[in-house]
This record gives sequence, structure tokens and C-alpha cells, in this order.
Amino acid sequence: MTSVKKITKRALYVPALLLLGACCTTRQPEPVPPPPPPAPVAPLGDIFFDFDRSGITPEGEAQLKQNAGWMVANTAKSVVIEGHCDERGTSEYNMALGQRRADSAMDAMVSLGADQARMTAISYGEEKPFDTGHDEAGWAQNRRAHFVEQ
Amino acid sequence: MRSTRNSFASLCLVLFGLLLMPLTLKAEEVGEYIAIRKTGASRIAIVLDKTAAKGDKESAWASSLNTAIKGGLDFTGLFNLMPAPLNIRNSQDGMLNLGSIASVGGDIYAGGSVTKKSGKPVLEMQVFDASGKSLLHRNYSGEESQLRAIGLRFCADLVELLTGKRSVFGTKIVFISNRTGNKEVYMCDFDGENVVQLTNSRSISLTPTVSSDGNYLAWMDYTSGRPNLYIKNLATGAKVSVNKHGVCISPAWRPGTNTLVTTLSYQGDQDLYLIRADGTVDRRLTKGGGIDVSPSFSPDGSKMAFVSTRQGGPHVFIQDMNSGQVRRLTYSGTYNTQPSWSPNGDKILYSSMQKSGEINIFSIGADGSGLLQLTSGSRNNEYPSWSPDGSMIVFSSTRGGKRKLYVMNADGTNQKPLLRMEGEQQQPSWSVNK
Repeated sequence: MTSVKKITKRALYVPALLLLGACCTTRQPEPVPPPPPPAPVAPLGDIFFDFDRSGITPEGEAQLKQNAGWMVANTAKSVVIEGHCDERGTSEYNMALGQRRADSAMDAMVSLGADQARMTAISYGEEKPFDTGHDEAGWAQNRRAHFVEQ
Repeated sequence: MRSTRNSFASLCLVLFGLLLMPLTLKAEEVGEYIAIRKTGASRIAIVLDKTAAKGDKESAWASSLNTAIKGGLDFTGLFNLMPAPLNIRNSQDGMLNLGSIASVGGDIYAGGSVTKKSGKPVLEMQVFDASGKSLLHRNYSGEESQLRAIGLRFCADLVELLTGKRSVFGTKIVFISNRTGNKEVYMCDFDGENVVQLTNSRSISLTPTVSSDGNYLAWMDYTSGRPNLYIKNLATGAKVSVNKHGVCISPAWRPGTNTLVTTLSYQGDQDLYLIRADGTVDRRLTKGGGIDVSPSFSPDGSKMAFVSTRQGGPHVFIQDMNSGQVRRLTYSGTYNTQPSWSPNGDKILYSSMQKSGEINIFSIGADGSGLLQLTSGSRNNEYPSWSPDGSMIVFSSTRGGKRKLYVMNADGTNQKPLLRMEGEQQQPSWSVNK
């Protein structure tokens, strides 16, 4: 009975040792290091304007550089640039002003290397305010070119 | 005695005024024209009698007619309405006692009766002056469902008789309301009655306007995902779009034509373009120099007022349609927009944003003279539009909080709400009725 147990144990040890030996002698291939993550692309951001103006401010220009970089990195994406105005002034004039802001932002984007064919400029005038406040804090939020990824 | 003497003096003034009136004023078929109302004159004191009726049906009709006539005459701001004095009829024979008109200070008496003929109402109206002279005697008939229109036809005749001009009665106003949660185009009668929703774009609709013949409606909305200008034939319902990328806003029909001018930006700047009723571009009217927007034509269509930033802030300019020559109209203020050229051709309304931030409506001569402020101290007053007869102005105001429509007389007096409607209303445009 004892001898049978021993034989069985040996029968199990031998393949186990063989297997262990095989594992020690065969070289496992080096794991391929994951590719380095791409440099982070800053997301799209909006730019803001002074009252009754469509010129790009220095802060706006910095943001547009970032947005142009996003366009270069995301060649399959397009962008709608919405021109917005605060509630002051009259609505038709603001509709024209909003277009001027959107166009102004798009022109600057093109000069910074963004593909014009993937951008559309649309004015919403004073029709879609981001901030419903009736003071300068609210108005400042609403005088913007809003970048929407498509 | 004093009132009799005053009445006699008034009559002499009226007759003297009659001698001075231009001969273009037409005579009526019953009674001859009298010129009581002159520019700057006070309101016409009119004794408005209740419409006589026999029978329940006729009495109900009379009540509706009284409401329509009283409301119509009151709306014009031309009249001082007075109830008939107790002694307006002789107690014995029931005949009119016209002497009682002058005794209560009335200039004019208007009254009549409604009868049933073939089941339909017939309104017989008579108008007398304080001396007892008949000025108008006419029947007005129609369907039972048209009592308001019947009463207003009399009002239209009376105003034309007394002023020599066409009246606002029968005209329409198109405007924008967000009643449904979206900005849609609506139309109502001259006095805010009978509101009808014209678009169901479920987007943002703006700047509706009807052609001078009443055949076409133009407006812009975002149903295609971007702003687009639409032109609809109101008789057939056929709709075309202008379909140019960029902004398209503030169309204005050129009087006497089926062409309109609107702002487009597909060639870069926000410039004014002449558009045919089929939506195609005829030609570009302005070029460069910033924003050009909000055109409004002189009544003969030869000149166009518009807003431009070519000299800095927004100001009103006038362009000759043939020569293309442009002159600046507004020099007062720094933000002047929304010109509206009067049907008489002599004045242009515009809205001006003032230093306080408040927007107010001004009137200026087409030659730049006679600047007059029509609204003040009542928050934002915008988008003035003349009634086709030039007697009234519709505009939007935030004086009560929300933006609502108001009307006023051409001189800025008699400012009052136009309609009661949920939500906000804006961009009214007064037009003829087709």
C-alpha cells in the first residue's frame, strides 16, 4: 500500500520537475514596453471679446493657438465656431456682430495653421446667452466665440 | 352761453381751416369733407352713441358692434370718445337732438342701428358734425361671424373722412414670440387681436417682414442647422431659401417690387444684398467697411436707410439706390440702429442705446433735421415700425419687465400695450393686409 503511494508520488514529481526544468531553460520573450503616451493635446476652448468688438484679445490669441493645435492633432474632427453677443444693443446688429466674431476667430485659426475646410462660423447674436445675468460679469461671459467639436 | 360761443368759434376755425386744406382731399358720397383735425390739433371729441337694435339677436349683434367700434376708434388715439348725452334723442319722436352734441363739447356724433336682413346683420351708421350737417350715412353688412370686421369698416371710413388718410384698420402686424418655448413668427390684427402662428420652426426665428403688396413673408431661422433666410408666398405657401453661408438677417422689402434687401456675409463682410423673391441674389449694394444691416426703404423705393459701422460705432446712413451715393443721417449718440422710414417719406425712426444703457426710439427728418425723442425712462424700447398710414408706431419694450409689443402715435403720445400674450414678443413689422 505504502509502495503504491510512493510510486504515485514519484509519478507526480517527475513530470513536475521536468516541467520546472523546461520553464527554467526556455527564455520568456521580453514584454514589449507600451508605446509612450502621445503628448497631451489641450482641449478646445472659447475666446472672449470686448463690447461691440470682434478683434482678438491677447488671451484670445493664446487660446486660439491651443485650438489650432487641437485641429492639427484631430484631423478627423471638424469644428463649429459660434459667435455670441451680450444682450445689450439691438438683436439684428448683434447677429451681424456675432458673425464678425466667429469669422474673426476662424480667420485667426487659419493663420495659425488650422484647416479652414473643417471649420464653420455661425452667429447666434444675443439669442443663446451662456450667462443670464444682466451685469458685466454675465455680459462678459456672453461675448464669445464658442468652439464646438463635431 | 359760453359753450355756444366756443362752439361757434370752433366752427369758424374749422371753416377757416377748410379753406386752407389742400384740394387733394376727396369728398365723400354723403356729406362733404371737413378738416377738423390738423397737425398738432387736439383729439376729435366724438359722441359715440350705442347702436340701436330691436330683438335679442340684433341686440347681441349691437353689443359686439359697439365693442368693435369703440375699441377701434379708441385705438387710433385720434378721438376723445364721449357717451351720448341723455337728451341725444327727443323724448316725443325719438329723433336725434343734434344740438345736444355741442352742448357736451362734442365735435362729431356717430351712431346707428343694426337690423337683420336675410339672417345677416346690416349696420346703418350716420355721422353728423356739431352743426347738424350729415357727414356720412352708409350701410355695412357681412356675415354674423364678421361683426368686428363690419364695425371696423365703419371706423376706417370715419377716420378717412376726418383725416383724409387711410387708416390702420385692416392692417396686420407680424412679430416674433417665444410663447411655445421657441421663437416663431406670428401675425395679428392692427390692434393685437386675432393672433395667428405662421411658423413652426422649433428653432430661432427672427426679423419677419411682409412685402408691400402683402404677398410675401420673409424671415430667418435656424431650421437647417445654420441661419438661413426664407421667403414664403403667403397665397400659395411656396417657400424658398436664400441659402448662403454666414449671417442672413433683417430683410426689408423694396416698396412696389418683389425684391428685398438683406444682410449676408458669404463674401466676407456683413453687406447688404438685393434678393429676388425666388431667393436668388440680384446684386450686392454695399461693400466692406464693417457691418451693414437693418435696411429700410423710402416709400418710393429710391433710397435706403441702413445701419453701418463704416465710421466707427453703428449709425444710420442713407444710400441712393440708383447712384449708390451714401450720406450719414445720425450724428447724435454713439449707437443708433433699426431705422424705419415713414410711409409719408419725411421721417425716419431709429433706436439709440444711450449712456445709461437704456435703448430709446427717436424720430429724425429724412434730411437730418428735427430730432425728437419718442420714448424715455422706460427701459429698452426697440424695433420701431410705422403703420402703413403713418399715424402710429409699433415697437417692443421691456418697460413692464418682459419684452412686449406696444404702440404709440406718430408723435410719441398715447403709448400702450398692443396685445396680451404669454412669453416675450419682439421685432414687430407693420404691414398691409392682403
